[in-house]
Amino acid sequence: MTTFLVRRLISLIFVLFSLTFVTFMVGHFAPGDPILVMMGPHRDPDTYQRLRHAYGLDKPLLVQYAAYVGGLAQGNFGLSLRYQGRAVWDLIKGGVPVSMGVGGLALIISLLIGIPLGVVAAVKHNSAADRTIIGLTLLLYSIPSFVLIPIAWLVVRALYDAKLPAPPIAGWGTWQNWILPVTILAAGSTGYLTRLTRSTMIETLRQEYVRTARAKGLRNGMVTWKHAFRNALLPVITVVGPSVAFLITGAFVVENLLKVPGIGFLTVQAIGQRDYPVIQGTTVLLGVAVVLMNLVTDLAYTVLDPRIRLE
Amino acid sequence: MYRPLLACALVGSLLLAACGGNSATTQQTTVVGTAAATIQAAATTNGPAASETIVTTGVAATTAPQTTQATTDTGIMTTTAPQNTAAATSITASGAQTTQPATGAAPATNLLRWSNEGISELPSIDPAKPGDSQAVTVISLVFGGLVRFDDQLKVQPDGAESWTTSPDGKVFTFKIRPNLKFADGTPVTAQDFAYSFNRALTPNTQSFAAPFQLSHIVGASDVASGKAKTASGILVVDPQTLEITLDSPLAYFLSLLTYPSTFVTPQKLVDTGTNWTDHAYGTGPFRVKEWKHNQEITLEPNPSYWRGTVGITINMPFIQDSQTAYQLYQTNKLDIMGAGQNGVPSANIPDVKGKPDYQQTAALATRFIGFNNKKAPFDKEQVRRAFALATDRKTIAEQVLGGNAEASSRILPKGMPAADLPIQGLDFDPTKAKSELQAAGVDPASLQVTLTYGQEGENDRVAQALQSIWGKNLGVTVNLQPLELATFSKNLDTTTLTPEQGLQFYLSIWGADYPDPQNFLSQQLQTESPNNNGHYSNTQFDQLTKQADTLGAQNQYDQRMKLYNQAEQIAVNGVGWLPLYNPYTNGLIRPTVKGLKLTGQGLIAPDWTKVTVSP
Repeated sequence: MTTFLVRRLISLIFVLFSLTFVTFMVGHFAPGDPILVMMGPHRDPDTYQRLRHAYGLDKPLLVQYAAYVGGLAQGNFGLSLRYQGRAVWDLIKGGVPVSMGVGGLALIISLLIGIPLGVVAAVKHNSAADRTIIGLTLLLYSIPSFVLIPIAWLVVRALYDAKLPAPPIAGWGTWQNWILPVTILAAGSTGYLTRLTRSTMIETLRQEYVRTARAKGLRNGMVTWKHAFRNALLPVITVVGPSVAFLITGAFVVENLLKVPGIGFLTVQAIGQRDYPVIQGTTVLLGVAVVLMNLVTDLAYTVLDPRIRLE
Repeated sequence: MYRPLLACALVGSLLLAACGGNSATTQQTTVVGTAAATIQAAATTNGPAASETIVTTGVAATTAPQTTQATTDTGIMTTTAPQNTAAATSITASGAQTTQPATGAAPATNLLRWSNEGISELPSIDPAKPGDSQAVTVISLVFGGLVRFDDQLKVQPDGAESWTTSPDGKVFTFKIRPNLKFADGTPVTAQDFAYSFNRALTPNTQSFAAPFQLSHIVGASDVASGKAKTASGILVVDPQTLEITLDSPLAYFLSLLTYPSTFVTPQKLVDTGTNWTDHAYGTGPFRVKEWKHNQEITLEPNPSYWRGTVGITINMPFIQDSQTAYQLYQTNKLDIMGAGQNGVPSANIPDVKGKPDYQQTAALATRFIGFNNKKAPFDKEQVRRAFALATDRKTIAEQVLGGNAEASSRILPKGMPAADLPIQGLDFDPTKAKSELQAAGVDPASLQVTLTYGQEGENDRVAQALQSIWGKNLGVTVNLQPLELATFSKNLDTTTLTPEQGLQFYLSIWGADYPDPQNFLSQQLQTESPNNNGHYSNTQFDQLTKQADTLGAQNQYDQRMKLYNQAEQIAVNGVGWLPLYNPYTNGLIRPTVKGLKLTGQGLIAPDWTKVTVSP
């Protein structure tokens, strides 16, 4: 176990190294230029050269990369090009807890609703209950958030016009602001988790050990939850674990439309503006999170299925 | 906006490779499953974002397609600069007087909720580097310069109460207002202005605008290159007198000073460190009360404002998407939405048009087709003329853009000085267009050209419409090359530097940095101008504009505008640009807000002390 952990953590360094290298190089080789973006079509060659120099963009790429990695090793993510003089970490640090809070709460809610629903649907396979659950979750899963949000707004506007208590359209700062983003994010993943749980559960319930358990005369609940569910959970963990990592970068559309100050908008905008340090910063953060969550996922397997050994 | 998808795919596949390669052996299959699931999971949380983005952009785009473009396409653009006019002029805010308390006592501080759209955070509110028009909006509320422009877009005194120009037009002498103070109560002298000019120029400040905007001040380039600390052309004669010497007469110099680069900044505040803008103050009507990063900025009245007492506090949330701002306005969480680069979402315009809240005006920007004059076939004037004559602008403005723009066949946008003088445009005439092409000796059937454009706003639809319009009216084949915006600007740069490797022709937009024809005609189309991307060149045009650029005296104004008018006619005939339309800027302003006016440069208060918000 210890060897496994040590090996994984060492591999993290290599993952980060290749991740930063590739994003750095691809970013810089992509056409476009942060200084040009900054200046707009005001082509003043002198100012352009001076700014390139000021931001160190005129140095050879490998030198720039080395400087970046050097800074990173000391926990310095560099300075943003667009948000002039602001440290990348300073820009990101406020948004990450927000994105993770909203996304995390939505995930917890969808787990609490989605998994039991999925199990019920699987147990009552092909019944009216199953079909209702499937229909509803298919609907939730297939409606993208950019459609769901305007629908939610219509509801809020109707409540508002009727002088009833209505959650805010968008914004941040009060607990009411969490209502819309969490609901909308949870809706989509509930749909997905229900369907996933249902299908793996159906498959598990057909396994021979389940039949054996039933033949032994065990109670239905015992068979479902103790024998089948535990095994059916593996694929769910496989999906949920790494998706926790992606909570860091936030859900772009939901954050954007509902004005949640996560880092979704920042991340996407940075790509458009060629704000290299910010792109790098969010990529590194995401990379670390994915590696760590994969590790957690693998550890979770050993808990759920004692046959799995990590070496 | 296909970037998130690409980025996710890139990150996803990298992680797939990385994680898969380093996983525990017994878990190989499961772990690969994990990685695959990572992407799948990404599809639930992030994935839809990518596809949603496309649609959202479409929605946001429709808001103010053309002006939105202006931000990114033209970088700095002084739209939405709420301005103050001189006390000297007797402009009265319409309707303001009715609600103004007659006692003279300070009116109760009312809250004005005004959204700043298209951003999640201000890039910087340092006047030396405004970053985007959203930042200019805030900077113009907090800081002030020597002069400002009013709601008629005319230059008016601000920090300077008067000025004189030397007979040769090279020396400007400004008298600083005696009662001018920073918001902390410190008096402002000519020395503070000199400091601010030099500060904007020094390399340390990293201003992208000041070094070339102020390059005609004697000694400015030495400061910009770090050779000198102060420019010799900026002279403090006495505490109330600032003298600025130029290397050549510039008639538009005062207009230039309405751009934030030269706004006066308190040195003792700047010296407190990089976070000084968190509590920024200057000589504008407001000062920063609180800047909640990534959320909103609150501006309170500047107690030392030279014009008197400002009666409102501004709460300005940063709202990425106009649709959100629209919904917030409809649930009474905002008093102003749109009115800047981004306007009312076009899908919602029919719902609000005709209501007292809805205001609309043509922006000080022109969307145009630029030609590479050094590359076939557009090196021939007749071919350019053929394309201009074959362009059905009315269909584009009314059908493609749903009436959210005004078709224009001239270069200067409406509201710009000299734009009130008539121009004979190359209006839609397909028969004449074909004969021009024939006269150029070009066979339309074999002519293949590529139109390049940056993907934002309604550009896709406009480009497709142009493709079909030219195909139908000229019989030529037009290929479209949509590019991501940063890539587009890089290609435009290449066209400027090495035309033979550059674009053939392109769809672009230019928005006014300052309301002066020089900013459009001379900067864009003079042969030697670094901004003349398409290398249009006409000797007579150059002569006329160069002469006009130097006619700085008050009594030369009319003559100067006539010269620009003649030059514009030449550039229209020779198709230096193929102008298409002026986008509308629009917004919702609650009728309870009095004293603000929507202009082509955004919302402007003739006098902030007369702006009121009644409950």
